[in-house]
Formats: sequence, C-alpha cells, structure tokens
Amino acid sequence: MLSNSGGAVPLVSLAGVSKRFPNGTLALDNVSLDIPEGQLLSLIGLSGSGKSTLLRHVNGLLRPTSGVVEVNGTQVSSASNRELRKVRRDIGFVFQQFGLVGRTTCLENVLNGALGSLKGPRYGVWSYPKILRSQAFDQLDRVGLANQAYQRADTLSGGQMQRVAIARSLMQRPKIMLADEPVASLDPESSAQVLDLLLRVSIEDGMTVVVTLHQVELALGWATRIVGLRDGKVVLDRDATTLKQEDVMEVYQRVDSSLSNESDIVSDDFASVVPAP
Amino acid sequence: MSGAHLEPLVKSASALPRAPKNWRTSVISAIFVGFVIALVWSWLYIDMTLSTVFGGFSDIWNLILYMFPPIFDNFPEALRTTLETIWMALIGTTLAVLLSIPLAFMAARNTSPHPAVIAVARGIIALTRAIPTLVLAAIFASSVGIGPFPGILALGLHSIGMIAKLFTEAIENTEATSRDAVMSTGAGKWQSILTTIIPQITPSSVGTSLYRLDINLRESAVLGFVGAGGVGFLIQSELRGLDYQRAISAVTVIFVAITLIELVSARLRASIIGDHLFSPSKQTPRSMARVASDQQKISTALAGRQLTLPWTYERVLRASVGVSYLVMMVVAFATIDMPLLSAFSLVDDLAKGIAQLFPPDFETAGSELLKGMLETTAIGFIATALGLVIAIPLGILTARNIIIRRVVITVTRGILLLIRGLPELILAVIFVAAMGLGPVPGTLALTIGTATFMAKLIGDALEEVQQAPREGVSATGASRVQEFISAVLPQALPNLVSQTLYMLDVNLRSSTVLGIVGGGGIGFLLISAIRGYETQTVGAIILVIFAIVYAIELLGAFVRWMVE
Ligand SMILES: Nc1ncnc2c1ncn2[C@@H]1O[C@H](COP(=O)(O)OP(=O)(O)OP(=O)(O)O)[C@@H](O)[C@H]1O
Ligand SMILES: [Mg+2]
Repeated sequence: MLSNSGGAVPLVSLAGVSKRFPNGTLALDNVSLDIPEGQLLSLIGLSGSGKSTLLRHVNGLLRPTSGVVEVNGTQVSSASNRELRKVRRDIGFVFQQFGLVGRTTCLENVLNGALGSLKGPRYGVWSYPKILRSQAFDQLDRVGLANQAYQRADTLSGGQMQRVAIARSLMQRPKIMLADEPVASLDPESSAQVLDLLLRVSIEDGMTVVVTLHQVELALGWATRIVGLRDGKVVLDRDATTLKQEDVMEVYQRVDSSLSNESDIVSDDFASVVPAP
Repeated sequence: MSGAHLEPLVKSASALPRAPKNWRTSVISAIFVGFVIALVWSWLYIDMTLSTVFGGFSDIWNLILYMFPPIFDNFPEALRTTLETIWMALIGTTLAVLLSIPLAFMAARNTSPHPAVIAVARGIIALTRAIPTLVLAAIFASSVGIGPFPGILALGLHSIGMIAKLFTEAIENTEATSRDAVMSTGAGKWQSILTTIIPQITPSSVGTSLYRLDINLRESAVLGFVGAGGVGFLIQSELRGLDYQRAISAVTVIFVAITLIELVSARLRASIIGDHLFSPSKQTPRSMARVASDQQKISTALAGRQLTLPWTYERVLRASVGVSYLVMMVVAFATIDMPLLSAFSLVDDLAKGIAQLFPPDFETAGSELLKGMLETTAIGFIATALGLVIAIPLGILTARNIIIRRVVITVTRGILLLIRGLPELILAVIFVAAMGLGPVPGTLALTIGTATFMAKLIGDALEEVQQAPREGVSATGASRVQEFISAVLPQALPNLVSQTLYMLDVNLRSSTVLGIVGGGGIGFLLISAIRGYETQTVGAIILVIFAIVYAIELLGAFVRWMVE
C-alpha cells in the first residue's frame, strides 16, 4: 500500500476522507492518500469523480464530512481560520478559470499572492512593500511576462492569464502546488506551454505538485505518479512509468461496467482487476 | 382540424388555437380593472374637472407673463444658494455612499458574515428608502436646527436605500474564482474581498453614485422649502412675496446648474460604465500621439523595472477626476457652515427627535389623516395615468426609427430635456403660486414630470424594438399606423407596463410631499404638525406615509411577478 509513499513522512496525507455535500452528493468516499515531498502527482478521473473536491480539501477550502487531512504536520480538516491561513501560505493553487482580477494589472495580480504574509488589506501596487514589488517583477519574468507587468489582466490571452496565475502562486514560495485542470480552457499549444512552465518551476523550487488533468496523454508524459478517481473513490494509484494508456482508460469506464461491483477496491489492488493487455 | 373548415366562419375563429387562459391572466385583468376603478375614483375624489385644469393653465400662463422681464439683481444670492444646493447634494451623496459600502457588504450574500446580518442590513436599506428626503429633512430641521446640515443628513440617509441596494447587487454579481484564488494564497477574508471585489464593483458603483448625485441635486433644490438649505428657500419666498420677476431668475440659475451637471455626469457615467474613460473612437492625430506617448512611458517603466504603475493618459484622466472630486468636497465643506456638533451629540439630538415621534398620535389629526392619505393616493394615480397619456405621443415623436423628420425629433427631445431640468416640486411651488393651494396644481406638476420622464423611456423602448416584425407587417401592405400598432407596440408593451408601475411608485412617494408646498395630499398635514411641534402627530403621519409606500411596493412586486 505504501509503495508510492516512499516510507518518509508524507507532506500531504488524507486518511479515510469522505465528503458529502449538503445536497446529498457523496463527492469523496473514504479516500486515503499519502503524498511525499517532491512528488509530481496527477489526478485523473471522469467529470464529477471528485478531483476538484479532493484538491479543495488539501488547502482547506472544503472540510471533510469524516476523515483527516494533514498537510505539513497541520490537521487541515480541523484547523482554525488562523492555522488554515498559515497552511495555505505553503500551498499554491492554480484554477482552471485563472481567478485573476481582470481590471487590475498583472503586477497587482501577482502581488496579491503575497497577501497571506502581510497584515491588513492592501489595495493597489503602492500598498505593497518595495521588496515584494520587486519579487513580483521577478516572478513575472520567470513566467515570461515581465513585459506585460503594467497591462490589465483581462487584456491577456488565456495562456498568458494562467501564467500570471502561476506567478501569483509562486509569490507565496509554496511547498506544494495544486492545480485544478490548469489547461482545460486552453488550446493545445498554450496547454503545453503552461504545463512545461509548471513542471519547470516545481523542479526549480523543489515543490510537490498535484495536478488534475483531463488529457491522459498529458498526465502520463508529465507526472511521476497517477491517481485515478471514480465516484469519489481511488481506483488507481500507480507509478507513471509502469503505467500504460489502457490501464488508465479503465478509470474512465462507466460505473455500469464489470468493475462496478468491485469499485470499492482501492489503490494497487486495482491492478489485479485490470485485464492483462 | 379538418372539421374547423366545415363550421360557420364565426365559430371557426374561436376554434383557432388561443393563448392558454389561466388564473394568471384573470388576475392580471382583475388588477387592470382595479387600476381603472382607482383612477376613476381618484378623478372624482380630487374633483379635477377639465375646467379647473384649463383654468389652471391660464393661471400658470399669466404667472409666467408676470415673470418677464426677469430681474437679475438677486443673482449673487441665487448663485450662492445654488452652489450651496450643489455642495449639499455632493456631501449628502458622499455620506450615503460611505454609509452604503459597509451596509452593502453586510447585505450581499457572498460577503455577509451571517444570514441574520443580511436580514438586518436589508431591513435598514429598505427602511431608509421609505421616508421621503423632504420629510426626513423637515424632521431633522426641527431637531438639529434649520440650515443645510439637516438637508445633508436627509439626503445622506434616504439615498442609502437606492445606493446600498445597487451596491449589494453589484457585489453579488462579482465572479468568485478570483476571490477563491486569493483566499487560497493564505489571504484573510477581508484582504481577499478588498483586492478582488472592489475592482470589480468600482465602475458600476461610481455610475450609481453619479446617477444618485443627479437625483440628489434635484432633491436638494427643494430642501429649502422646509428650511433645510439650498436655493429652494429663496424661490419659495420670492414666490410668496409675489416677486415673480426675481423668482424666475433664481429658477433659471438652478435650472442651468442641474442641466449642466446632468450632461457632465451622463458623459462620465457612459464612459465609466463602458469601462473606458479614454477611448479613441476615431483615430485622430491627437489620439495616435497619445497612444504612442503611453507606449513610450510603458517601455521606459519596463526598462527601469519601475515598481509603480506608469502614468498613462487614462490613468492621468482617472486621477484628475478623483482629484477634482476631492477638491470639490473640500470647497463644499469650507463653504457650508456645518454646526460644530460632536458625533455623539448629533446622534443624541436625532435620537431625541425620533423618540418624540412616539407614541404616534392618530387622534388629533383624526379624519384629516384619512383624507390626506386618500388625496395623496388619488394624486399619484392621476398623475401617472395622465402623464402616460401625454408621454405616449411625445415618446413616439422622439423615436428615431419611427419619425422620419429629424427636426421633429430634435425639437421634442430638446423640450423634454429642458422640462426635465426643473424638479417637480419647483414646478409644484410655481403652480401653487399661480392657482392657489390644493391638489390640482400638485397633480399637474407631477403629471408634467411623469410625462417628460416616460416620454424618454418610451422613445428609448421604441428605438429598441426589433425591425424584422415591422418589415414583415409592412410587406403585407399595411399602412404606417397599422404597422406601428401591430408590430411596434406589442414589442414595447411589457417594458411599458413595468415602467408605468415604477412611475406609479415614484409618484405616490412624491405626492406624499407635495402638500409641503401646498400641492395637496398628506404632506400639508405633516408640515403643519412639524411647524406646530405636534411631534406625536408627525409620528402618526410618517407611519401613514410608510404604509402607503410599503403597500405600493408590495403591489408593484406582486404585479411584476404576475406579469412575469
Ligand atoms: N458545492 C457543491 N455542492 C454540491 N455538490 C457538489 C459541490 N461541488 C461539487 N459537487 C458534486 O460533487 C461531485 C464531485 O465534483 P468535483 O467538482 O469534485 O468533480 P471533478 O472530478 O472535479 O469534475 P470535473 O472534471 O467536471 O471538474 C459532483 O457530483 C458534483 O456535482
Ligand atoms: Mg473539477
């Protein structure tokens, strides 16, 4: 069971996490997952399988109905607002819809990433310390958009917006980077650019990365570990190098396939029910 | 299907598919009949015969003749009080905006700390709207003393109803991802709100505030009627002193001020809501030079890794609008003598003033109260209906897609714009001076206000109708009038109904204060009770006004819901 956890104390650990939304949807069903430092993990699964919900539990945007989420030694699932803010400072989060403030400049958007380390509300470039402004410029440089620093974020292309969003996360100097379908609204070329960027900065900064992706090929070429979700359960958990495309496709099978009765089988045991190629 | 052809012709018509007739349609017809009955009753109640109306017009015409030639030796005083009017509107609107911001954040579902807070905040917002500015001003004037200060307080409090409501909607319409994104960097709730929501709501909020400033300027022009500062007092006393030639000059000054400010604010609003203070619509050498100089500034800043935003033309423009506003506020505060009250004693005075209204005394005014209430309602109904009847032809005359002659359109629009520059209550005070006290001059003033306002709405609504059905109808060989009735009118109708309801609401609110200038309705009772320090009667009257306004709001909401 611990084959992918490397034995060390995991940076992120989910133990028996279930999430039932107020409307009755069971989005996560007894999920246990350990993510060691430095891992590049890709979460795959059908739409509605619970990928976003899982990510949102890691940084405490959602709280589990039952189970424990621990990040970097802090119990996120029961943390106070203060502790939560502290944990979040170590976690970058990249959204499919970028989440930029369109009417402000790229520089201001990147600066917003530093809010967690500052006290009190800030408004406008001038309200941030000079050293942070300089760092924001550096991060824009890293994502290749220094020339757009003074440009309004809503005048950028989608790929550029996502790069600004990554620069904003980098301002936090995070230990962990979570990305929820970061390229789902981008064309193939921008997608490749954004994923390359994400990979590069994670290695440079030694970040642990969890990315949810729809495109299986992208996930395979990119990650060191692949975790598949279906109906809120982990149905696949494998080293990316030993995984074949067909194995992955199983994750995308409907519930009504032959696996439905055994869908509570988790992690590596999944391999035994995958028909040999 | 086939059977229908065999039936007699008359019957076959009823066999055609008809719009489903359900309980909604019958309720709507019932409401419509109700409105008609209310109208007829109103007409009888205030005894508005055609001869009084036409007699009234000749009185007004005579008064206008007396006004000429105007005497402008009161010009310095007119200018001073007009400036005071403007500063009052500016400070009052600012006060309302400042109070509205926290209220809106508490009332908006996506930022409020608790559902109970939402309910309380929304309650406060609705409450402030219920009491007309002039009534608030009259009450405040009697508790903190006459002068511009109670006027400013009244403007500030009453405007919250509209400003905070629109701010709340703007906050609820912001997109949430950016806030989630900033929250997930470890930012606190208020940090995230400030950085992500404020930029999103700024354009619409500035637009709302400017729009309210226009309205408040008109309100501010009549606050002098109750001793709450501004040009209104001058106009009223000149009319009372039969000094018509000077009255017209004071009216002219405020009229010019209102019209000019409205033009400027409309321009500003259009560019801010369109989100571009500076947009080169045409490529002129000047605009191209600006763009080039902006690019120059940006590349210099980038080359030097400048850690502040470069001063592009648009940014300079924005900043100068902001600075002008601040300068005006400073001038306003320097010009207006504000009582040196501590916030504490102010709250104390106001609280005492409000406490005096209780328990409300319905006995002393007795049947007068009922009479005032009925008269107010009747005035509101007639002014709306009559205004609508006048507005329809006027509106048609201003629609560019119906009237071919540009001259007609330009002249009609010009006249409407000019009349709109006069606040209804100023019209009312002039009409009362011409015709004497009573509901008829008040009704006429509201009617004119309604007609000009609705004419503009109707003109705009007509211009928005789709062209395809019109062409379809014309292609069958229909005349222009037939085409108008069968293709244009039905498209504009739903909008018209909802605007009429809105107008009825506005007019009923206005007619509660007409009496303050002698134009009929419950306002007369109110102002005499205030002057006679019968504070508990004032309390009772305010409750009645409250009830009228609230009933109308409920009725309006119900009708809109039914029509929808
Ligand atoms: N706030 C919510 N309230 C109720 N149900 C929710 C909520 N958020 C998600 N769900 C439900 O939980 C399930 C998992 O949703 P989630 O967004 O995690 O899926 P996903 O794997 O990210 O899908 P996609 O690929 O479409 O983004 C879905 O059935 C969804 O409808
Ligand atoms: Mg998702």
